[in-house]
Amino acid sequence: MTKTGIRRVAALGLLALGAGATAVAAQATVEIVVESPAMTTGAAMPREYSPDGRNVSPPLTWRSLPPGTRQLAVICQDHGAGNPPPWVHWIIYNIPASAPGLPEGIPFDRADPMPAGLEGATQGNNNWGLAMYRGPAPPAGTVHDYDFTVLALDTELNLPPGLTRAELLAAIEGHVIGQGNMVPTYTRQPAEGGAAFE
Amino acid sequence: MSDTPPPNTISRRDLLKAAGAAGAAALAPAALGAAVPTGNPAVPRALPTLATRAPVGPLMNLTAAETEILSAMIDRLIPTDDMGPGALDAGALRFIDRALSEAEADSVDAYRAGIAALDRYARYSRGTPFAELSARDQDSVLIDVQTGSATGAGAGFVGNSAAFFNLVKDHTWQGTFGDPQYGGNVDFVGWDLIRYPGVRLRVTDEEQRMLEAEDLEPARRSAYDFGQFQAGQSGGGAR
Repeated sequence: MTKTGIRRVAALGLLALGAGATAVAAQATVEIVVESPAMTTGAAMPREYSPDGRNVSPPLTWRSLPPGTRQLAVICQDHGAGNPPPWVHWIIYNIPASAPGLPEGIPFDRADPMPAGLEGATQGNNNWGLAMYRGPAPPAGTVHDYDFTVLALDTELNLPPGLTRAELLAAIEGHVIGQGNMVPTYTRQPAEGGAAFE
Repeated sequence: MSDTPPPNTISRRDLLKAAGAAGAAALAPAALGAAVPTGNPAVPRALPTLATRAPVGPLMNLTAAETEILSAMIDRLIPTDDMGPGALDAGALRFIDRALSEAEADSVDAYRAGIAALDRYARYSRGTPFAELSARDQDSVLIDVQTGSATGAGAGFVGNSAAFFNLVKDHTWQGTFGDPQYGGNVDFVGWDLIRYPGVRLRVTDEEQRMLEAEDLEPARRSAYDFGQFQAGQSGGGAR
């Protein structure tokens, strides 16, 4: 099994690292299919979703939600970084169950409205303390995995913005009825037609 | 990512709260700007206004190209918006230039290198010079600089990009909210923005009551107008 594959399996045990994880991992859940028109598990993410590019959030779609799904949450985390791991890049929750996914470029400015169909969705704090998506920037020459986890909830929680990962997991404890993930990779990119990354 | 530690992320809201007054802001675009007054929402208060932005003219320590980039950055750190004047209105750019000739003279190279790196990073990551990006894209670039994610990204920041961000941020705050004696806070717009009532050597009971009712007229005096204080060099507070 590759290093990426090992990490992927570990990620399916999901959220099992760090505070607040045990409740989620302990629940019996349905597996959600997570897809993206821009990336896939085990392959490099486009630079547009990193600080080598525009650093916008990538598009995600999901299907096979369990019956009774009322709301969704998404966490993007790097299980190979952070002290303790994971390093959280993105948290978004209060996502209506009717949403088929997340379009590219969820606003990083809270003053900007969420895209149509995502009314009520809000973002939690990543490990930089910012309630927005910030993409991967692993140390030069290293390849990291980025675990985009989708969680289906059996209730509408209407959580406030700015929750940390631990706070979110505590808030949704006992309500996770489905989960799935996608784990693309990333390494710092050279400028297009320019000098290699240093 | 990123093995860089969380930066000392400070929003305009944090900034204005930290300034100890009744004014403040939203963290929007998240880390950077957009003032929103707080305090008693039932008490409408006039926002400070400026008839004209203080002219800058040639600076002593930066080229015209460097000035354009730094000016654009400062304008996003504390933007001029419907909540009132911003850092450029307060003369923060002139303050920084003066500080680079005085107490912050050893930061000139850091400024030049950082400004060049900021622009290289904007071109590398967004394909456009920093000063020509939209305000939203400038904010996104600055967030990457603030978080350290721009470090090494073909830009050549000396050390962590967050160090440059914090250097400029600190000086921008000083140039906006410091004593006007040092060349910033022109016409006391920074103090008016945070509703700082001004330097006073004594406060009567009546003035204290008016202050608590947010009804006290600002003193609009530099501390050095009183004669008891002796001014140091510009930017000395950054150390």
